[in-house]
Amino acid sequence: MTDVVVGRLADFPEGTHRVVEAGGRRIGVFNIGGRLYGLPNRCAHQGGPLCEGRRLTGTLAADAAGGWRPRWELDGEVIACPWHGLEYHVPTGRCLAMPEIRLRRYEVAVRGDDVYVSVPDRRG
Amino acid sequence: MTVETSATTRTGRTPLPDLLIVDADVHVHESPGALAPYCDPPWDVALRAVADVPERYLDIPGFSPGGDGTLTARFPTAHEATRMVHTPEQMVEELAAIHVDLAVLFPDHLLKLPVLPQVEYAAALARAYNAWLVDRWTSRHPALLGAIAACPQDPEDAAREIERYADDPSIVAVYLPCAGLDPLWGHRRYDPIFDAAQNAGLPVLLHAVTVTSPVFPFNNHGFDTELARHATSHTFAIMANVVSMVSTGVVVRFPELRIGVTEAGISWMPFVCNRLDKEYLERRREVPFLTERPSHYVKRIYVATQPIEEPERLRDIVTLMELYDGDRTTVFASDWPHHDFDHPMKLDQVPFDEEQRRRVFGENALELFGIDRTGRRR
Repeated sequence: MTDVVVGRLADFPEGTHRVVEAGGRRIGVFNIGGRLYGLPNRCAHQGGPLCEGRRLTGTLAADAAGGWRPRWELDGEVIACPWHGLEYHVPTGRCLAMPEIRLRRYEVAVRGDDVYVSVPDRRG
Repeated sequence: MTVETSATTRTGRTPLPDLLIVDADVHVHESPGALAPYCDPPWDVALRAVADVPERYLDIPGFSPGGDGTLTARFPTAHEATRMVHTPEQMVEELAAIHVDLAVLFPDHLLKLPVLPQVEYAAALARAYNAWLVDRWTSRHPALLGAIAACPQDPEDAAREIERYADDPSIVAVYLPCAGLDPLWGHRRYDPIFDAAQNAGLPVLLHAVTVTSPVFPFNNHGFDTELARHATSHTFAIMANVVSMVSTGVVVRFPELRIGVTEAGISWMPFVCNRLDKEYLERRREVPFLTERPSHYVKRIYVATQPIEEPERLRDIVTLMELYDGDRTTVFASDWPHHDFDHPMKLDQVPFDEEQRRRVFGENALELFGIDRTGRRR
């Protein structure tokens, strides 16, 4: 793995995200509650530019304990693909409509003022 | 669009970018202000009056009332679902990115043309759209082909419009709007439209959209969610109109007329074929003009793939197509740029054999639209 600098910490204010390029990959870097997460900018459905969705939101959930009434949850942690709306929980990479799908998560680290994304070494 | 898609590499398969892809359903964005200069008085004044109204998706008062999804609570989402294409340059660039070679253009707002109660206004809108479509889109690039809008409120005027554009080389179809349509397309009042289309050698293409209206099958107010309304509006409308056109004999009275349906997927086709054939055993006397079983006529209808079903076993799509003998009648459509568009890559995951694949992606559409591989009418 190689750590690639993708910007300064000030480029990723809390509650925002940007798509960066690292090691030939396009990766969405999200700042949620001061912690940075990296996801591929490619939806598992039809290959849409997942992380180009303009904003993080929450989503609706319901269960038996809540009498099957909808409640708003995961506020600020959900991205929806701008192509067809498939939702993902950013911190875990979990696809909400297809739980068997979990996106790979890139490690994002801050050293000094620099933000690094850890990507596999390029072949050959 | 910024996403890359990798070419198919399965042995012996033409890579997707090299395959002829004809897209039977693509949408241009017509705003009231854009149509106004093409619109007859006094209706042009009304168009200018709503030209600056802030627009929600397919929702402008007095133009395309009652937007898709405006009935449900609106929670925040990154899925804005409001993509639009405003210029031929934008369209050509975006279609190239999804490997589409030729595209047949449909409107955005005028998907709801039948819900407008003022007959003369609706007819003027259809005429304005047709003139604008040819002037601003289909005459500007050879990959952009047009479908003339037929105003169901005024079938005689729609027939004149078909005659007006019958010899335009960029016009390859007649668009029959279905959202809120009353009566259904099988009614004899529409015969002038079918007669004109048949004489012009142009196919008719049915296209619905989600609306809630008292008219069957859009009396969908019983549903809580847009999931339910959207899942049923398009498909039920196409099923209702296909059943209507077969059971009133349109398919017999206009034997040379090519009929296509869009935006309903394909999985309803085997049901309609089998169910109509079953009913026919008991009720043939109601449809004595049919000389074959109803499915014979249904299977002659061209079916656009979008929104293609996405079952876990993609082989099921091939099976569904075989159930309605659809090798030569199934045509690719993307519905670009709408929120539920299909990338050709999705359909290309279906395990068609190479001939089926070539036919579905392009060659069947050449037959439907009567064009060659460059989009020229034959």
